[in-house]
Amino acid sequence: MHFELLPVVVKPMAYLDPGSGSILIQMLVAAALGGAYLIKVYWKKIKRLFTGKTDEPLEQPDQTDEAAEKK
Amino acid sequence: MAERLQSSFRDPCGFLYTRGGTLYRQVNRAYQAQYDHLMTSGLYAAAVKAGWLIPHEETDAQPGLPDLAYKVIQPERVAFISYPYEWSFSQLKDAALVTLALLRRALEFNMVIKDASAYNIQFHRGRVTLIDTLSFDFYEEGSPWVAYRQFCQHFLAPLALMAHTDVRLSQLLRIYIDGVPLDLASKLLPAKTRWNLGLSTHLHLHARMQQKNAGKALDSTKTRGRINRIGFLGLIDSLESTVKGLNWKPAGTEWADYYQITNYSDAAFDAKKALVADYLKEAKPETVWDLGSNNGEFSRIASEQGIETISADIDPAAVEQNYRIMCSRREKHLLPLVIDLTNPSPDLGWGNQERDSLTRRGPAGLVMALALIHHLAISNNVPLLEVARYFAALSEWLIIEFVPKSDSQVQILLSSREDIFPDYQRDRFEEIFKQVYQIVRADPIEGSQRTLYLMRRR
Repeated sequence: MHFELLPVVVKPMAYLDPGSGSILIQMLVAAALGGAYLIKVYWKKIKRLFTGKTDEPLEQPDQTDEAAEKK
Repeated sequence: MAERLQSSFRDPCGFLYTRGGTLYRQVNRAYQAQYDHLMTSGLYAAAVKAGWLIPHEETDAQPGLPDLAYKVIQPERVAFISYPYEWSFSQLKDAALVTLALLRRALEFNMVIKDASAYNIQFHRGRVTLIDTLSFDFYEEGSPWVAYRQFCQHFLAPLALMAHTDVRLSQLLRIYIDGVPLDLASKLLPAKTRWNLGLSTHLHLHARMQQKNAGKALDSTKTRGRINRIGFLGLIDSLESTVKGLNWKPAGTEWADYYQITNYSDAAFDAKKALVADYLKEAKPETVWDLGSNNGEFSRIASEQGIETISADIDPAAVEQNYRIMCSRREKHLLPLVIDLTNPSPDLGWGNQERDSLTRRGPAGLVMALALIHHLAISNNVPLLEVARYFAALSEWLIIEFVPKSDSQVQILLSSREDIFPDYQRDRFEEIFKQVYQIVRADPIEGSQRTLYLMRRR
């Protein structure tokens, strides 16, 4: 995970109406989902420590292929 | 003369237009800072390299609206614009996953994607690609994802309905141009989906929150700064695992195992393939629409020669299979689509001009109608002359297979009904089609009672 923190000079120019309900639900669940996400990221790091695997990138989506077929 | 495309009018940051047949996108001055950041931060390069974003070049072409213009860019042209109601399950799922992957990648560069419209996603050279270069905006720490509602409506709701209720519900996207309303999706989904944490949050609870807060003004001071970056990432991650958890397997539908039950011998199958290849050599089309393509066996005769080929079928299971084959072979010139020829995609949206009908996205270089005529003429009662006229409206060239009444497939269609089709015979078929076409080639398909034709519009 790497963040390039760049100064935001201009306000975003959203043209969609995000919808009140859709904003409120995000506020409601963001903390919990963020927590779950952190646990997931660190769990992966711990697993890597034991399996000795090098730092693999987080999952990359690829189009449905044979790998998905085998699931 | 610049002609503005009717599909891009919502976003004040720019728009698409054509001039002299070339497609351009004007970037407005209002979007200057975002565009420059996209291009110089490395995000554009990363997204294009992954195949997730359409590449473009900056040009000196005259802007469509010079007063507003910052730059004019010329995006790579997508061979065929398709719509989410024409996609199979995995096509929509892959489009959803690439949208989220782009959002996650954008965040690393301090940007987000500000819309999550399924119409911004296209299949370009076999890859799921975002075609709207202006979708990126600055990320403001603390703010929610403005496109969350749209993502749930365009992707999550239809995918959940297809996976848990019925795959045919993808057609709701044809009625609801801005995605399936969440309260409707919530109503149609089976109760067990409430036990799925992702679906219960992003669909069921989301729908209730929308209903509860409909028409209420939001105090923006209370919503600012409430969702930190980790929360934002958590939201993306949760959406991603919810989408990944949705699956649909083609089985038990009409066509899924069609090739195993036809009355084609291997020899007849090969003979038909050889004839199709031969006809394509003669007509030399740049594009082919294979209508009624099943899983694309015959479409590939064209696409493997580098001809841009649409492989369309009414059956979502056949199209799903076709798409999976396309992905596993990394095919670049084939596009499987779900299309019901008896009711093809119409002009839709604002002024009926936002999304083009199938016909308006033509003409094709050549139409293939293999083992299709009996379904149109007998199952759907379309007079042969009307079939000929429709195909002629789509393309100059036609490869068509005539399947006689003695064929077991036609016998099945006629077994439960009165035979009211005196014209449905080979000589009459030829006579009628000759009113519209000139027959260039006609060959019996060895080992069957069927005949294959190459025709050219008069």
